[in-house]
Amino acid sequence: MTTDTTPLRVLAEAHWPDPGHPGPPPPLPGFAASGFNPMVADAAERCLRAHHGEAPAPGRTALLLASASGDLATARAIDQGAGPGRRMAPLLFFQSNPNAVLGHIAARWGLTGPVVAISPAGAVPGQVPADALGLAALLLADGDADQVLVIAAEPADPAAGASDSPEHPDSTGEFAVAVLVTD
Amino acid sequence: MTTATPAGPGARARPVVTGLGVLSAAGRGLDALTEAAVHGKTGFGSVTRFDVSACRTTRAALLPADVPLAHTVPLARAVLDALAQACRQAGLTAADGADTPVLLALHSDLRTRATARAFGAGVSAAWGTRGVTRVYTGACVAAATAVADAAALVAAGRHERVLVAAGHLVEPGVFAVFDAGRALARDGEPRPFSAGRTGTLLGDAAAAVVVEAAPAAERRGAPALARLAGWGRAGDAHHVCRPEPEGDGLARATEAALARAGVAPAEVGYVNANGTGSALADLAEARALHRVFGRHTAQLPVSSSKSVHGHALEASALLELAVVIGALRAGRLPVNAGWLGPDPDLGLDLVLDGPRTARPRYALSLNSAFGGANTALLVAPA
Repeated sequence: MTTDTTPLRVLAEAHWPDPGHPGPPPPLPGFAASGFNPMVADAAERCLRAHHGEAPAPGRTALLLASASGDLATARAIDQGAGPGRRMAPLLFFQSNPNAVLGHIAARWGLTGPVVAISPAGAVPGQVPADALGLAALLLADGDADQVLVIAAEPADPAAGASDSPEHPDSTGEFAVAVLVTD
Repeated sequence: MTTATPAGPGARARPVVTGLGVLSAAGRGLDALTEAAVHGKTGFGSVTRFDVSACRTTRAALLPADVPLAHTVPLARAVLDALAQACRQAGLTAADGADTPVLLALHSDLRTRATARAFGAGVSAAWGTRGVTRVYTGACVAAATAVADAAALVAAGRHERVLVAAGHLVEPGVFAVFDAGRALARDGEPRPFSAGRTGTLLGDAAAAVVVEAAPAAERRGAPALARLAGWGRAGDAHHVCRPEPEGDGLARATEAALARAGVAPAEVGYVNANGTGSALADLAEARALHRVFGRHTAQLPVSSSKSVHGHALEASALLELAVVIGALRAGRLPVNAGWLGPDPDLGLDLVLDGPRTARPRYALSLNSAFGGANTALLVAPA
């Protein structure tokens, strides 16, 4: 999808990894077993801080997470936890879908717009898929949000086989990019 | 997604539903689902698909044995079945599909992309679309978000028609993690809005709708089943998975749906509530309803059809939209099954006995999810 008839304005952008912020992302209280959610939260945090300074953010900001692979480590832990003779870690329930980390970001920054998660057909490291920007434009044009924080993120897993298209190969390294947009 | 503008750029069009397909514990098709919902015939039984002996709760609402799932990707097969029902009812052929977006709601797990690929291949072969346009993975509002986006695309004149489909089959990982998270009903029955409620039960579902611009449907001579009068999406900004205690986000989503349609709260005659059977979430939802509907809440019939067909997670909102459309067409309201007695903190007019005859001018389908996500779909008879 192209980005609607209304061009989006980028208000702020942040990436993980970022040479200016070396080392792993800060741990995320309540989340375990996976580096995916801390990475998403860190990119979102730095993007929102770049534009707003401190929480809360004014107005209605939507959250849109786009990830072709999703949180593979959590998905694997859930599959394994259901195996014969295994016991499921209760904490995995709280991160069993992509909305969970968005709820953390929304609560911290007071983001009251729509909360949306999509799985695009492929991923290009460091880039937000065009379809995610198209959906952000639709949410803005439709009137349920004043700004949209779009986060594209992929875990490190070259064997994931998530990509559907040869021109968009699987990422070979984990990344997250957060872009705050408006119309 | 390419953008077709058949009605001209910027032209507004009322979105209607011209086709609907569904598989649920009640069986195949909307009639079976509606019949179960309006009589409160629940579909729960012991889970036999996989070993649940290590779980506290061992029941769910599974598809009947006569619904075939034998396929390398059973979920894709189920959703293709629902989509075929919807497209046939809408009178579509493969020749109509080339520029039609396909929005699909699925759980995010290790099989999401494989299911989307198999479904995309099937929908392209059968209905001429260019595969799957977008996969929504946003938990229990995923399908409602897809419907709202489809309605927005049609209303804005960007597409004449959008196909929306969703599916969830009860499987070991999600079942075990919901059990470990103590989200499942300990007594083996979901009892939304009831005293003594202890949680939800999961359910199988595949559902699909054809969302179409009313003028385009009229030109084709395709009768509308219902009208998507309004839609709203809003976030709680409260917690990773717990609802905001006053139902703030759900109230704002509902108000957005009413405002978009220009409908007053008193014009709404039925609510198919999110009603999972969770102590906290049902209370927050009741507070949201009181905030939006005020004194009208006392005369507003409410039920949660999850009490009949279970919680189908990413497919739940489309399954519940199907229940609402079925109820509007039947002139009978779904029953809130499993009720043991009143919760004095809720104050809702629950539909406890069925069938209850009613002809609402507008009905709401509400959904809430992890992350504080909330959606409201406002439906009117065709």
